[in-house]
Amino acid sequence: MQTPDITYLLPLFFVGVGAILLMILSTFKNINIKKGAIASLVFLTLAIVSNIYNLNTLGDIYSVYPFSDVFNNMIVVDTYASYFSTILILGGILTILIGLHYFQRRKEFTVEFFSLLLFSVFGMMLLVHANELITAFIALEIASISLYIMIGFEKVIDKRIEASYKYLVLGSLAGVFFLLGSSFIYGATGTTSIGEIGIFVSNNIDSNMSLIILGGTMILITFLFKIAAFPFQNWAIDVYDGASLPVTAFMAATFKAAVFGFILRLVLVDFDLIRDFWDDMFVYIIIFTLAYGSFLAIIQKSLKRMLVSSSIVHTGYLLIAFVSIGVIGENAASSIIFYLVAYFLSALGAFGLIAYISSEDQLRITYDDFRGFSHIRPYMAAMLSVFMLSLAGIPSTIGFIGKFYIFTGAIESGNEILAIVGITATFVSVYYYFKLIAVMYFYRSPEMTDVPPLKGIAPLVIAVIALMIIWGGIGNTLIAYFPGVDFLIDMAKLSYKSLFIL
Amino acid sequence: MSNFLLAWIVLIPFISSFIIGVMYLYSIKVARVPNFVFSLFGLSAPLLSFLLGFSFFLQMIGNDEIFLYKAYRWLEIDGYDIDMGFMADKLSIFMVLFITFVGWLIHIYASGYMKDDKGYGKFFFYFNFFLASMLLLVLGHGPIIMFMGWEGVGFSSYLLISYYYEDGENVKAGNKAFIANRVGDFGFIVAMVTMFYYAGSNGFDFLNLKESLLSVPVPVLTFIGFSLFVGAIGKSAQIPLFVWLPDAMAGPTPVSALIHAATMVTAGVYMVARFHFLYDLIPHVGLFIAYVGAISALFAAIIATKQTDIKKILAYSTMSQLGYMFIAVGLGGYSVGIFHVFTHAFFKALLFMGAGAVIVALHHEQNIFKMGGMKKKTPLVYFTMLIATLAISGIPPFAGFFSKDEILLTAFSSGEYLLWIIGVFTAILTAYYMFRLLFVVFYGKNYKEDKKLHFLPKSMTTPLVILAIGSILAGFIGIPELLGGENLIGSWLGNWKNSSLHVTHSTEIILMVINIFAALLGIFIAYKKFYMYDMKEVPIFTGIVWNKFYIDEIYDTLIVHKIKQLSIFISYKIDVHFIDKIVMGLSRGFIRSGHYIAKMQNANTRFYAFTMLIGISVISTYLIMVLR
Repeated sequence: MQTPDITYLLPLFFVGVGAILLMILSTFKNINIKKGAIASLVFLTLAIVSNIYNLNTLGDIYSVYPFSDVFNNMIVVDTYASYFSTILILGGILTILIGLHYFQRRKEFTVEFFSLLLFSVFGMMLLVHANELITAFIALEIASISLYIMIGFEKVIDKRIEASYKYLVLGSLAGVFFLLGSSFIYGATGTTSIGEIGIFVSNNIDSNMSLIILGGTMILITFLFKIAAFPFQNWAIDVYDGASLPVTAFMAATFKAAVFGFILRLVLVDFDLIRDFWDDMFVYIIIFTLAYGSFLAIIQKSLKRMLVSSSIVHTGYLLIAFVSIGVIGENAASSIIFYLVAYFLSALGAFGLIAYISSEDQLRITYDDFRGFSHIRPYMAAMLSVFMLSLAGIPSTIGFIGKFYIFTGAIESGNEILAIVGITATFVSVYYYFKLIAVMYFYRSPEMTDVPPLKGIAPLVIAVIALMIIWGGIGNTLIAYFPGVDFLIDMAKLSYKSLFIL
Repeated sequence: MSNFLLAWIVLIPFISSFIIGVMYLYSIKVARVPNFVFSLFGLSAPLLSFLLGFSFFLQMIGNDEIFLYKAYRWLEIDGYDIDMGFMADKLSIFMVLFITFVGWLIHIYASGYMKDDKGYGKFFFYFNFFLASMLLLVLGHGPIIMFMGWEGVGFSSYLLISYYYEDGENVKAGNKAFIANRVGDFGFIVAMVTMFYYAGSNGFDFLNLKESLLSVPVPVLTFIGFSLFVGAIGKSAQIPLFVWLPDAMAGPTPVSALIHAATMVTAGVYMVARFHFLYDLIPHVGLFIAYVGAISALFAAIIATKQTDIKKILAYSTMSQLGYMFIAVGLGGYSVGIFHVFTHAFFKALLFMGAGAVIVALHHEQNIFKMGGMKKKTPLVYFTMLIATLAISGIPPFAGFFSKDEILLTAFSSGEYLLWIIGVFTAILTAYYMFRLLFVVFYGKNYKEDKKLHFLPKSMTTPLVILAIGSILAGFIGIPELLGGENLIGSWLGNWKNSSLHVTHSTEIILMVINIFAALLGIFIAYKKFYMYDMKEVPIFTGIVWNKFYIDEIYDTLIVHKIKQLSIFISYKIDVHFIDKIVMGLSRGFIRSGHYIAKMQNANTRFYAFTMLIGISVISTYLIMVLR
């Protein structure tokens, strides 16, 4: 039986329509934050269910162009995109669940916020589904512009506004290069469709590729900006730090995944043959990214800024795998995908828990504020420790498995230098991550007990994330018939393969 | 197919222990859970496992079927697949039967013994966990699953030994047991890795290993067999890793009965029997095993003659009896060894439980020279203890006689006369120290009747009676052919090694008589020295035997102390002066550089845009250079 095309697009449809409906709903007086949250959760749940339905029913690997006469192959639905969409929608759901307490406490948040969040998720999903450069650009801008507004949503706080504008200005500056690159590529190949660029490249591999390389580099610049790699990392700390914590969690966890999702598709499908060209450039970028992020992270006093700085380091790790794609593409690409999941969980958990803790007040910001935290809130301290362990890549957490795949991938492909630099950065990262654990457990607490107790949905969700992190680190099929790490890796490999079946 | 039930033999105690654990947490945090709820779960698990095991036993009668159940694939590493598999052949089902049955009795006993303990639920949580691990050990279909059980057993034994953790000494004893076991485990791991490397490619389970080990060169096999035996030494408390067993008596008495007599310590014997296909190929290692066993048996028996703590005497006797088992399995008489494991489980559990009953009755007194006259006060305990003592001493027709006789017969018929002599001599000592205990405790006149005896509940005395019956009857399943019987164990387990005895019937009779005579001699000496023992004061012992040959001290000076010195050297010299300086210097340098770099992070948008453009310029320059 032929599956109707609309089923492929249902996830996108639910999120997009949900965003518009929420925008309309927000004009009604009797829709409060909680109802808005529930409505958006309903849409996101519908989306994720239809997405998983697609993953389950369309076979192990699939790739289709829905409504190809209308969209002209601009949108692709394959295992790869569905996999990423699942992560992104999950990111939206978890952000709402974790942040709900925070949103309810702060008066400035209104129902429009959820509409924007859905728009942002929609943009990111469209980005991973995009099979064409201009579509990708539009998707990127939908996601970004929603984020700009989300960051500045609490208008009364100057820091938020500043972050929002800073991101808007710098983001636009970076976005320009994407368009410039696209036009170069269009000029060289006569097409902006991802598959066709690849065909053009492989047909004309002997002729001069300069223009395409130039265009590719410009697109990569935007990409490097969005994932906050050196030398385009400056904005990240100010913006992430300026944003409210749930928004930071959302950005850190999902946006990077979406951008990587698109760029991996572009590079693997189109630039596979000329990818080596960028390798040298990336080696420097990675080393500087790792070093910059590490140096910045160890001097931070604020926990949030430390996490943000360390997210630059994690970008570096991801880029290591990105460069290692060369030899064994399947392993390296799936290691990126896996690491994205690992980082997604750890960062969402860490930011989310800190958001929950500071939803009542603004007292706990620096390391010192967390002195003796384990005596006041032992379970929260334990969960925070789990997230720190995972971010640092300590065995028995999912973060370890992620790093393990990345570094072995780097060594297999001959990038020993990068593996050494990456492992050194990991050593350094133990310092700033464990500092929190040490502070929480080994110091007496000052007189501060105004932490919200463990109740409501947010701590529950965070606890589930913590368990998933541990399960992802130790779980194989230790419990019968319960998917473990292998499942995620196999999925990542399948989604990688689905890029090449059309 | 009912093969999946194999997994449930292991799962039932695991689940029960989990439920008990959760209930215990609930009980200490929220509301008290009555003891009988814990008992209900704790006691039903071994019984259900026993019944399941029995159903498999019935299916096995008359055929050689091997039940195999692969629950699911546990690990896949580059083509090597490890299944969560369970295998029941006649050996493992036999082990399952007596582990669950004796275990069940000890559980019942424990429900009386631990009645007033505030950690009642915790105790059964550990106890069932232990039982489950032990069952996993015997039912695992390959070395890896076996190792999981092996480790589980070691771990739960640690928990149980340090059960009374308020006393630091008990925790130390737990540590000691755990560390000694770890040394053994290391041997197991080494053996496993070597086996996997040489013979693991065709599936790493016992059935496949049996085939693939044939093509492995003998030196490697020797290494594997030796390393495996190191593991067995650790678990079964043989020389030189026995030091933990006497200290392990720090745990509650049911623990000593279950773990350090009937089940865990026999794991080593079971392992050697399980790997019989390996040891058949390397008889010289087998001989080594037999000698280690014989020396351990003798050594432990000598120490036991001078001990005053009732549980320590029994602990050393356990070690001594385990030595006997190793003599048998080392010489290829696997069924004989397992036979002794079986009879020993009955009478040793009985001895420990009887001792526990005496200890409870006397308000936790363990020194035998402060006891006395218990025959009149606790006749039932006396009677059952007498049966067990006769059994361990090897007096017919009690259980120990038949199995011990067979072991000595195996030693004699294999031509290892030295082993036989050691065995017989040990038998004299065994009878001596066991009857010394019996006479002093039950006939002696030392006990001052200033306290009322503690009441012994039914739950503690009933298992004693059942085990006493077992101690009488267990031997009859292995009556030697000479007496018109048939070694049912031998025929049940099958003749792994053709150990048809090259001795005439007359020799056999002579040997048997010698054994009986040896036991009687030991009893006679004990009678002479200790019957109606009366001493005004507790004797103060000195001498090399009383001090257990100073083994603990020797280990302390030779190993523990040296390692400690090394640690101190590393900690105070190398660490402080060398490593710390480097690490701290590095971290200071890092932090200083971090502050410089932070200057880039000046929150100025124009500056950020500027750096971006510089970055783009650099990349563009690079492009120009390369593309030109």
